[in-house]
Amino acid sequence: MALHVPRAPGFASMLKDGSKFFSGVEEAVVRNISACKEFSGTVASAYGPNGMNKMVINHLEKLFVTNDAATIIRELEVEHPAVKMMILGSQMMEQEVGDGTNFVIILAGALLSEAEELIRMGLKPTEIAEGYELALEKALADLEGLSCGEVKDPRDAKQVAKAVRSAVMSKQYGHEDFLSDLITKACISILPENTSFNVDNVRVCKILGSGLLQSDVVQGMVFKKTVQSNVIKQDKCKIAVYTCPVDQMQTETKGTVLIKTAKELTEFSRGEEELLENQIKAIADSGATVVVSGGKIGDMALHYMNKYNLMGVRLSSKWDIRRLCKSVGATPLPKVTPPTAEELGYADRVYVDELGDTSMVVFRLESAESPLATVVIRGSTDNYMDDIERAIDDGVNTFKGICRDGRLVPGGGATEMELARSVGKFGETLPGLEQYAVKNFATALTAIPRQLAENSGSKGRIAITSLATAHEQGQKNLGVNIDSDSSNVTMDAVENEILDLLMLKHWGLKYAVNAACTILRVDQIIMAKRAGGPKAKPSGPMDADDDE
Amino acid sequence: MSAISLLNPKAEVARAAQALAVNISAAKGIQDVLKTNLGPRGTMKMLVSGSGDVKITKDGNVLLHEMQIQHPTASLIARASTAQDDVTGDGTTSTVLLIGEFLKQAELYISEGLHPRVVTEGFEVAKNKALQILEDMKVPISDADRKDVLTKIAATSLKTKIHPKMADQLTDICVEAVLSLDQKLLDLHMVEIMEMQHRTDSDTALVKGLVMDHGGRHPDMPKKLTNCYILTCNVSMEYEKTEVNSGFFYKSAGEREKLITAERKFIEDRVKKVIDFKKKVCDGKDKTFVIINQKGIDPLSLDALAREGILALRRAKRRNMERMALACGGTAMNTLDDLDESCLGEAGSVYEHVLGENKFTFVEECKNPQSVTILLKGPNKHSLTQMRDAVRDGLRAVKNALDDGCVVPGAGAYEVSAHLALRKALETIKGKERLGIQAYADGLLVIPKVLALNSGYDQQEVLVKLLSETTDSGHPVGMDAATGEPVNPIEMGILDNYSVKKQMINSCTVIASNLLLVDEIMRAGLSSLKGGP
Repeated sequence: MALHVPRAPGFASMLKDGSKFFSGVEEAVVRNISACKEFSGTVASAYGPNGMNKMVINHLEKLFVTNDAATIIRELEVEHPAVKMMILGSQMMEQEVGDGTNFVIILAGALLSEAEELIRMGLKPTEIAEGYELALEKALADLEGLSCGEVKDPRDAKQVAKAVRSAVMSKQYGHEDFLSDLITKACISILPENTSFNVDNVRVCKILGSGLLQSDVVQGMVFKKTVQSNVIKQDKCKIAVYTCPVDQMQTETKGTVLIKTAKELTEFSRGEEELLENQIKAIADSGATVVVSGGKIGDMALHYMNKYNLMGVRLSSKWDIRRLCKSVGATPLPKVTPPTAEELGYADRVYVDELGDTSMVVFRLESAESPLATVVIRGSTDNYMDDIERAIDDGVNTFKGICRDGRLVPGGGATEMELARSVGKFGETLPGLEQYAVKNFATALTAIPRQLAENSGSKGRIAITSLATAHEQGQKNLGVNIDSDSSNVTMDAVENEILDLLMLKHWGLKYAVNAACTILRVDQIIMAKRAGGPKAKPSGPMDADDDE
Repeated sequence: MSAISLLNPKAEVARAAQALAVNISAAKGIQDVLKTNLGPRGTMKMLVSGSGDVKITKDGNVLLHEMQIQHPTASLIARASTAQDDVTGDGTTSTVLLIGEFLKQAELYISEGLHPRVVTEGFEVAKNKALQILEDMKVPISDADRKDVLTKIAATSLKTKIHPKMADQLTDICVEAVLSLDQKLLDLHMVEIMEMQHRTDSDTALVKGLVMDHGGRHPDMPKKLTNCYILTCNVSMEYEKTEVNSGFFYKSAGEREKLITAERKFIEDRVKKVIDFKKKVCDGKDKTFVIINQKGIDPLSLDALAREGILALRRAKRRNMERMALACGGTAMNTLDDLDESCLGEAGSVYEHVLGENKFTFVEECKNPQSVTILLKGPNKHSLTQMRDAVRDGLRAVKNALDDGCVVPGAGAYEVSAHLALRKALETIKGKERLGIQAYADGLLVIPKVLALNSGYDQQEVLVKLLSETTDSGHPVGMDAATGEPVNPIEMGILDNYSVKKQMINSCTVIASNLLLVDEIMRAGLSSLKGGP
């Protein structure tokens, strides 16, 4: 703890102990680039339908087996600041579009490794960043022209399934048709008339056992719970929803029962019972047959509910309550009072079902349109079902994208190849130093089809060369053929119905370039000493249901 | 062996020349770090905090705050520079550079045997001269081109902080925001800066009204209202426990039931008052009602309000109560007793925007709002913070210009002119302080030099060009960051704040003089502190 008098001059000595300080192109920029390259290399092999799965064990020792980049990077807890930038970009992508996280990482990684070459050539990182931004503008403008079709009516199951299919394909190759049908069915059934589509309205319920092909869509909601009451099945029921516990009322201030004689004691408990019975009876009289409670259902209340033939369900998550209210059209009541007719919700059937040894409560709506749908996934292991859930998530997000902007572009790397061609051409026309950056931007774009080809077991370079020739000749829908059996490495993406959303590429390009440029513009890194103390809580949701 | 070592053997000490060397090397070191930040072409720094959060910035103030500097001299300089920011909102990097350069120049003379005291005397003379030159150079803002000048000054300030494209966009926003405030008070707190992590930074906009980062807490509350009355109040609508220990005694369940109702009655009365009032002002008219409450509103009250179609927001920021009154009129109420229509604000539309878990409430289309919101949007947290810091500086720059009533030419023009004027003045001054003035004059040139260096030009070449051009043309000359050629900054619209420069000259001189006059650094021996080196 000295006055740092005798230390060598320089900045590093002025900081607190343990801080790190990097500066200059060699130390900061190149280091950042190599870290990012390494990272994008890690997730790149998970890209595409033939991407490999990764096994990730997070700090809670939970095991993940997935090829979903969003999950991989979330669980990895990367600490390197530059890599974090990249991850932020891809997380933003996840929030904005809900898919295409890997696209951002791979493209940003490729852009950076191309930039490294240019830095070695002597270009300044800021110049490269400017060139990349120039190229991005060009690419985004050209992207508009590449649209090869549009989903005009998001209610047309056939069209929608086509677009959802390739998003699901990259996660669950082999089951894409089955899953995209499920997703389309669930999404279309809940598509509201005038308001926008909410991803949260498609719920997923995972039940162990059986096989994926036994998965199904249920209109309404499914909870992995059992009912409290004796009644386990109700048809055409009115539902009363309470956010509070269904039990005797308590005062907020501490209450004490003051009893002086034995008579008072007996009267007290009888009075209490009567009061509760009246309450339950009032509920039953209002026409309700199912009572949903946000807290516990007291033993006494339960007894009377059984007596009046009410079905009692307890939900612990307030989100679940809210969703259930939405789906059955009930108003949640904050106090145990008899509901009015408007406050009651309606479901065609509420029943307890058993699949395997898991019992679940189903709120089923028979009508064609309901505000919520649940996809019941069956599968042999938890990990497998988690993976399916992520695939469904991506699919649902794609559907949301379709609702916002239904334009499609050819998938399978065809769009990237075509953009690479046009941006490359554009680079030729530029007079200044920026042309190098623009040309390298074009090269970086080919990383996507190359990775696709390599993950499918073909030679990346051969695929790129033949694609480049084809695109030069104007076959702009040609993409990588991922079916490794056939000798032909290319195929027409439109004919094979491998289509991506235009919006996905648009934001993906934007975020990737943004991340790459941010990293390039940094020339000094100052890192404080890692703070001690207990590890910060994971910021993710604590409960699987609280994922809003 | 100094005397203090006898008194306290653990004390550390640096004396005379050594002490000076420590100070000067620290000043140079910190100058080195911040050097690359200056000007529109400066580079970014990545800061990683102890908890692993990443910040990317080129704002000197942010940097000095976040870097954990331990060196006593360096932290002294850092504090002085951040004080500059507190006072004027800009010029932090320049301050650090000038202090460093003054010490560097003084070192030359001191190493040749000049006493530091003489140097500081020279500094003092030079400072007065420099301030006088600043007075001469200032350009008054006329009413006719006020907005134009303000735009330019905001642009100059913002371009040194963020991406030029973003800067252009934010410039108009900042100027517009300041101009919509009450021109007499110019309270920048009345410009709310709200961040939304959403889409890209180009979606950033100025909202003529208020944006709050919370929404109605009841699912049945309306999400969008038009033509609204707004009641801002600070009245609790939730059950609060008594301060003294209290309890209920009851004999039967029926009694308990009554107690429960009685307990709620107090709050329910309040809610009922609001609802009655709403009915009074809104019934029969095409009006809707919004309550913005600084205190809480409990679920039961929310429920009652929702039934009436009232949008109620609870736990608003105290500042927002002030802002709300300015933005849409009305007064913030502390009691619900005497409500009448004059207490209410009005807004054309109030709506809720949901981003994942976060809700935002927009109050827009107000009549003549005197409080506005700058809504920052960006894809990630660090770009938002970066913009937020920049906007703050932009707003301050505009406010300073309005307060000063004048601006000074930027792009290093002032420094070059001051240098030349000081040189000229030297001819009339006799005595040893000449040397101090000379050091000061040379020190000033660091700003144009670093500007040139950061823009990728040869600093000496640019400097020579600037100096000769200034002498020849007779008007202020600065450097064009795009070409490296001398230009007239006033024509180019590169303008700086008068108060920033003034504060900078003052504080730099004082700090530099102070550091030069230090001849002993002592530290009492606390060597047993944990975590020593």
